[in-house]
Amino acid sequence: MPATTKTNTQLVINGLLNENPIFRLALSMCPAVGISTTVANGLLLGVAVLFVQVFSSCTISLIKDHIHPRIRIPTYTLTIATWVTVIDLVLAAFLPVAYKAMGIFVRLIVAFAIITMRLEVFACRNTVVASFWDGVGMGFGFMFGMVALGAVREVLGMGTFLGYDVLGFRPMLFFVLPAAGFFLVGFMMAVFNFVETAYNRRAKRGL
Amino acid sequence: MREILKITIALTVSCLLAGLVIGTTFIFTAKAKQHNEHLNVQQTMFGLLGYSKQRPAPPELRLYSVYRYIVEENDAMSMGYMVPVQKGSVEGYAFIVLDLKGRFLESYDLGLTAEEALSAEDRKKALAPVLKDSAEISFADAMIIACMEEERTAYLLPGEFPGFKTFIKAMVALDPHFQILGLEVIEHEEDPGLGGEITQDYFKNQFVGKSFEKLKKLTVIKEPLPEDYKLYLETMGNTEEGGLSAREVERIQKHYQDKDIYALTGATISSAAVTSGVVGMAKKFAYRVQILDQAVEKGDVPVLF
Repeated sequence: MPATTKTNTQLVINGLLNENPIFRLALSMCPAVGISTTVANGLLLGVAVLFVQVFSSCTISLIKDHIHPRIRIPTYTLTIATWVTVIDLVLAAFLPVAYKAMGIFVRLIVAFAIITMRLEVFACRNTVVASFWDGVGMGFGFMFGMVALGAVREVLGMGTFLGYDVLGFRPMLFFVLPAAGFFLVGFMMAVFNFVETAYNRRAKRGL
Repeated sequence: MREILKITIALTVSCLLAGLVIGTTFIFTAKAKQHNEHLNVQQTMFGLLGYSKQRPAPPELRLYSVYRYIVEENDAMSMGYMVPVQKGSVEGYAFIVLDLKGRFLESYDLGLTAEEALSAEDRKKALAPVLKDSAEISFADAMIIACMEEERTAYLLPGEFPGFKTFIKAMVALDPHFQILGLEVIEHEEDPGLGGEITQDYFKNQFVGKSFEKLKKLTVIKEPLPEDYKLYLETMGNTEEGGLSAREVERIQKHYQDKDIYALTGATISSAAVTSGVVGMAKKFAYRVQILDQAVEKGDVPVLF
C-alpha cells in the first residue's frame, strides 16, 4: 500500500467512520466486548488507547527506515510495550488520581490488535505528521465505539449512566455480560453498513 | 547466514533500546510512585478506622506496626516478630523469637526507628547483626495496631489472597474482639464491571459488623441483594443524606447481621474469593495475636501496644 493521499482531517474522520477499528476493521474486539460495560470504563480505556496509538505511530514512523523488514512485528511489539510501560509508570508517579481510574486498563493495551495493525498498515509507510493524525483518528474511533457500546450496555444493563441512576431499576442484567457485547457489536456493525449503503446511494443519485 | 546475523543484531539492539527507555523512566518515576502508594495506604488505613478529610484523626491515635518473619536455622523453624517497644524514654524496635508452638524463646534489641521500619531494606539491615550466620529470615506479613491512650482500638491487616484472576490485595480492620470494622480492596486484577465491583460499597460494606463467630462460618449466597440492604450499605447508616431513618437502619442492621455475604451478580467466584480471603486473614490473625500477647507477657517485653 503506497503512502496515503488523505489530508489530516480526512485521516481523523476516516478513523472515526470509514475505518472505525471496532465496527469496520473488526479489530480489538476483546476490549469492545469485555470492557465496554460502562461508559466510564469505555471512556478511560479509549483515552489510554488514544495515547498509546499516537505515541507508537509517531515512534514507528520516525524509525521506519531503520527497521529490518524481517523483524517488523517484534519491533512493533517492543515499541508498544515500551510506551505502555512508560505511560503506566508516569501515571502512577505523577497523576495518581488518573492512575487509580485507568491503571488496570493501561496494562491490557499491549495485546490489542488495532495498534499493531495500524503500525503495520499505516505508520511504517507514512510521514510522522500523517501517522500522528491517523493515530488520533483511530484512537477517537475506538473511543467512540467503546462509549457507544458502554452507553447502551450501562443504561440497559444497570440502569445508570456514568454512575448516575437514570432508570432507577435494572432492565436486563444480560447486557452487562460478554454475550451481549458480541450481539451489540454485531448490531452496530450492521448499523454502520446500513448508513454507508444509504450514504453511497444518495451520493450516486446526487451525481 | 548474513541475514540471520543482521536480524539477530537488530533484535538485540531493539530490545536493549527498549530496556534503556523503560529503565530510565523507572528511575525517574520510582520515588514518586512509592510516595503515592504510601499516601494511598495511609489514606486507606485512616478511612478504615473511620477518619477522613472531614474527620481527621485525633493526635492521641497511634499506629504501631508489627512485622512477622519466619526464621529457618539448620532445618529448625521459628517465628520472629519485630515489635515496637519502649526503650527508656524513646520508642524503638525489638525482635522476639518464638518457637512454632508460640513459646517465647528470646528477644533482641534492634537499632531501628519507626520510619526506617517501613522499608524492607532497612528492616533487613537491622536484623543482620542480630541473627546467627546459619539463620535464614523471610518476611511473612505485617499488622498494624491502632491504639488510643494505651488501649487498643483496632487492628489493621494488610494481606493478599488469590482472586478469580490473579491476586487481590486488601486491608481488613478488626476491632479488639475481632469483629470486622471494615474492608478495603487495595489492588486487584478482576474483570472491570463484573469482579471489579468488589471495590464498590454495596459489596465491601457487607463485611462490616460481622462478629468473629459469624466470620468463622461466613460463606457466599447467590441471591440478589435486597434493595433496602443495598441502600443501607451505600449510605452506611448515614441518616442525613436523605436515605433511611434511624429506626430503619437499626432494623436492617439487626436483620442482616447474621446473614452471609450476597455475591455480586456475574462474579460469584470473585465474591467467594474475597470472602474466603478475608475469613482466612482474620482467623489466622486472631490465632497469632493471642500467641504473640502470651509470648510478650512471658518474655516481659516492654511493647508499646
